[in-house]
Amino acid sequence: MAVFQAALLNEVEKLYKKKKAFVAIILSLSMIVLGQLIIVGVRTGFGVRGVGSAEFPILVLSVVVNTILPLFTALVAIDSFSGEFSHNMMRITLTRPVSRFKVFSAKVTAISLFILANLLLLLVFSELAGFLFNANSASFGGFARTVLAYLVSFLPMLVLALGIVLLANIFKSGISVFFLSILFFLVFKVLGVFFSSYASLFITTHLDWYNLWLAHSFPGWKILRQLLIMAGYGIMLFTAGFYLFDKKEF
Amino acid sequence: MKLKKKTAMLMSFTLGTLLFATTALADIANKSGYEQLKDSLKLTAEKASGEFDSFTLDISFVVKDNGEIVMSQNQLEKYDRKNGASENTFSNEDISGRSYSGYNYFDKNTMIGFSNGDNTYHVTEFTDERKFNSFDNPFKQEEAEDVEKIADALVGSLKDYVMVNENPDGSRELSGSLSEVQIPPLVNAVSSFALKQEFNRPYEQRGLNLSKDIYVKEVKGTASVNKDGVLENVLGTAVLSGTDAQGKAHEISIEILGKMTDINSTVVTKPDLTGKNVVKEVAKSAEYGPEFSNPQKFVGKFKNDIVIEKDGKLVKAGERIVDITSIDSQSVSGRYHEEYAQGFEQMASKDKEFNFEGTFEQKSSRNARLTINTDSSKTYNGDMFFDEYAGKIYFNVNYLLSRRGYDSNYSPAFE
Repeated sequence: MAVFQAALLNEVEKLYKKKKAFVAIILSLSMIVLGQLIIVGVRTGFGVRGVGSAEFPILVLSVVVNTILPLFTALVAIDSFSGEFSHNMMRITLTRPVSRFKVFSAKVTAISLFILANLLLLLVFSELAGFLFNANSASFGGFARTVLAYLVSFLPMLVLALGIVLLANIFKSGISVFFLSILFFLVFKVLGVFFSSYASLFITTHLDWYNLWLAHSFPGWKILRQLLIMAGYGIMLFTAGFYLFDKKEF
Repeated sequence: MKLKKKTAMLMSFTLGTLLFATTALADIANKSGYEQLKDSLKLTAEKASGEFDSFTLDISFVVKDNGEIVMSQNQLEKYDRKNGASENTFSNEDISGRSYSGYNYFDKNTMIGFSNGDNTYHVTEFTDERKFNSFDNPFKQEEAEDVEKIADALVGSLKDYVMVNENPDGSRELSGSLSEVQIPPLVNAVSSFALKQEFNRPYEQRGLNLSKDIYVKEVKGTASVNKDGVLENVLGTAVLSGTDAQGKAHEISIEILGKMTDINSTVVTKPDLTGKNVVKEVAKSAEYGPEFSNPQKFVGKFKNDIVIEKDGKLVKAGERIVDITSIDSQSVSGRYHEEYAQGFEQMASKDKEFNFEGTFEQKSSRNARLTINTDSSKTYNGDMFFDEYAGKIYFNVNYLLSRRGYDSNYSPAFE
């Protein structure tokens, strides 16, 4: 365990030292500012309230979870794998007395920490903006639901990250992985719209699953099914990703 | 060690696949409440247009502002497919406070309309028995499938909010409720804006002049489906909240209720018109306009005045005269000319007189298409409409219409 911790620390340090994570967070925050400006504009321009303080964080989440967050998750994941493959950094990582499984897990954990940190930051700042600039419609129940929505969004994002990790282990070039990820993302989104009865098969539809947690009458079975589908995806992608990582020669 | 790792990987991959495959299958097989609602809607439309002999639809729509009714529409429709008859009674009150109500009756040979405003029954009798379709299945229309796809996409993840409650006798209650948190903000903003535009009547006394902080607060719906899968009852409510220019808070609720009752036991009766105010018309069939009865009565002169402004006053400069020389149900012919009073002769333009010939249109037998041969050997087109009730004709010839001050409305010239 101590070995894994060291490896994880190493990965987090690397992530922290890179600018991408910072850019991601800054962009996410500017998203909040921009969103708030649009809301204020709509409110004074059209007389439409737009959102209240309880809904603003959800609005931010609905946008970020489909744009910035997957994009930067892809960048960070690719950086952590393809980037190191191409710069021959992986050799250095692997010369340490750490098994490949632990290196792989440490990398995945570092990516999930990035996602989680990004989501939490967004939560805090969008709640703040919501309270400061919007008509007060918040209640404790609403606040708890918002926190829940942000937390559950972590899971589909992690599955998505695992998918990108798998791609990064198949293809050598980071750029091709990046564009393939975007392509897959868009294709799945479109398929989800056109084949709405099969939508739950696509990872991208799960990104919106926080909506289920907000429902008035809690759709427990639906949530369980989606959870199991995501778990299935997660296990498959993790195993396949690790298999390829394990086989790779550096 | 090596083998163990491989087996572990194989096992975990298989586990993942199994987990994914089984739940995915279960998920696809599971019909969401939204799907069930859609299915019963389709089934109901299909049965109503093909299986039920008769049924009654009761639809009402009410808009309330802080609990006070500002707008309502009620409609009671009875359909008798077996006898090809239907009737509907309606009463509406619009947002400006005007109210109107009336009654319509249709069968294979007759169409009767009555509105409480003029207290007159308008009866149209069809000479050809028409094909009667008491109820069209909207899902059979060409674009229905595309509309359904679009609706599915729009509803998106909201479909999981429809809950199903099954009763022991096989009937089901579907219900759904969305509060402001669940409605996607974009949908909320767009629909609030649309509703604001719909209700705001700045130039009228009534009307809901919301100006600030408008949002959709809640959307609720319930539906009951009987054991045959037919929708019997649908109730939908939406609540819109906002403040008006004076800062007063308003809560506007929009309620829609639809009921289907008396399946196979609805009776449609033709109204008894003895002693009532009746206007009768005869038409070939529903697609055709009313028939032209006794067109010969239009033979003769029709005229209107040529009016100009002179010395700050309106004066009569002459007359336009349409002289119909012959007319029957197929064609019409006659002569147009202008007569100017003394002192106004210089106004006369060329082509101030010509002969015209026209044939009546098939589907609208009071309307004739005209061809005109003028003295300057040019050919013009035009049309002519005979108003049987007012005893007037409308004479539209494109080159006359392009003149300033031309009046196409002619009255009979009584000497």
